[in-house]
Amino acid sequence: MIRFHAFPYPAFKADHMSTDSTTAPVSKPVLSQAELLYEAQQRQTRNFRRNVSLSWGILLLILLYLFSGQSFLGIRTIRLDFEFIRENIGFIAEGIPQTLLVSFLSITLATFLALLAALGRLSTIPPLYALSTFYVSLIRGTPLYLQIFFFFLALPQLGIILSGLFAGVIALGLNYGAYMSEIFRAGLASVGKGQREAAIALGMTPWQTMKRIVLPQALRFAIPPIGNDFIAMTKDSALVSATGFVHEVMWRATRVGRAQFHNLEALIIAALFYWMMTIILSYVQGIIEARLARGDR
Amino acid sequence: MAPIVRISNLEKYFGRLHVLKQVSVDVAAREVLCIIGRSGSGKSTLLRCINFLEEPSFGSIEVDGIKVDSGVKGKEHRQLVHDVRLKTGMVFQEFNLFPHMSVLENVIEGPITVKGMDRAKATELAEQNLDGVGLLFKKDEYPNRLSGGQKQRVAIARALTMEPKVMLFDEPTSALDPELIGEVLNVMKKVAKDGMTMLVVTHEMGFAREVADRVLVMADGEIVEDAKPDALFSSPKDPRTKALIERYRTGAN
Repeated sequence: MIRFHAFPYPAFKADHMSTDSTTAPVSKPVLSQAELLYEAQQRQTRNFRRNVSLSWGILLLILLYLFSGQSFLGIRTIRLDFEFIRENIGFIAEGIPQTLLVSFLSITLATFLALLAALGRLSTIPPLYALSTFYVSLIRGTPLYLQIFFFFLALPQLGIILSGLFAGVIALGLNYGAYMSEIFRAGLASVGKGQREAAIALGMTPWQTMKRIVLPQALRFAIPPIGNDFIAMTKDSALVSATGFVHEVMWRATRVGRAQFHNLEALIIAALFYWMMTIILSYVQGIIEARLARGDR
Repeated sequence: MAPIVRISNLEKYFGRLHVLKQVSVDVAAREVLCIIGRSGSGKSTLLRCINFLEEPSFGSIEVDGIKVDSGVKGKEHRQLVHDVRLKTGMVFQEFNLFPHMSVLENVIEGPITVKGMDRAKATELAEQNLDGVGLLFKKDEYPNRLSGGQKQRVAIARALTMEPKVMLFDEPTSALDPELIGEVLNVMKKVAKDGMTMLVVTHEMGFAREVADRVLVMADGEIVEDAKPDALFSSPKDPRTKALIERYRTGAN
């Protein structure tokens, strides 16, 4: 933006802006100086975007080439069985709704738990504070993979038989809730002391202050990071396939891959689907963030 | 007539710091009381003790017949504090408008949430007060679209809409650009003229002189002088008052 001198500075063509050729040419250059600078800036932005897209395209082509099975100058590439891919891509794709369902249910549970944990963390009541820190410490101190198995294996002993789906959702929800509690804590902390004081001075009770003044502002702050975690979760949901009872993308990929000795192909299909899902979700998140930023107040 | 605000033997400690020492003040109904003093003199703390944003360490506060002793805990105390807060409106240095609500929503929030007033009635009252501060035309804007002076005027309207008996102003113009101070002071003058009891912590000596019925000077957690503005500004008795007035006089011109 600063490199003005790099642009075609002289007022060289008034013609590209002039739709009306009868206008006196004398008054033009005054306007066109600013216009030209603006145009040059716009052009630079456009060029940047175009070059980025182009580079993306090249990187994609290189990636594709790496899986082409061709050999060039002695560099070998990966050979895939496209017959297998064609036959099984549908079967794996059928797991997408399951993956999204697990992610959606888990993020909902996680958001709820994270909020409670964050409130507990801010609480002055010792047992609540302890419960919150205990939960976060325990969950963050153990692997997610292990937690998923734990809920799948332990709950039946208590006489609670959950479907693989719900055991997975509980594990993922608990796990992400512990991490996301930090987001909410930051969100709650981002609401200034003055806001609470103004509410209290109006006569609001602590609960009213929380509900009407603090939480709405904290949630606004927390929405973009929640979106990030949702995207991350679509991928971590693959771990629930380990229990063997949720027929999501990863489970299906592993199943057909193993059965037909085409693990690599199956995993690559799954990878493609995960990548596509995250691209779409990132795009949606971008729109939501832009909207939040626009109404920023 | 009994005073509407009675502060008796108020003490406040922040940790080991003794910020208010045996402060006692009576304020009559409709009186405008300005509190001046250097920063750190305890004037803001005194104001914030009145509506219990700061819990006093010792002493008592009485507002419009509701007496609250400090150092007490429990449900009854909380209820009394709540009652006192309903009798007082507060305006802050940093405005503290709710950024997620429009101007109108800011102003009706208190009556609806705290008093359970119905929305139509709250809106009517809010619009009257917004009109009073000259900002009815901004009622659908969000606070980030307002200037500092406009924000503070909305904050005044928000406090007034709770229909308090006493208004507390905590350095209401200290965060404003100089050219915006006047509009806020004018609104405050109008509120005073309408008969509101006002306690104003301020550095605006001109305002104190012109509008106040009484001026308190605080230093080191104590009231060192309590006088009519004319007397105080023309012949200050305490050396600390003298120094304070001198400092503003030279600072202002």
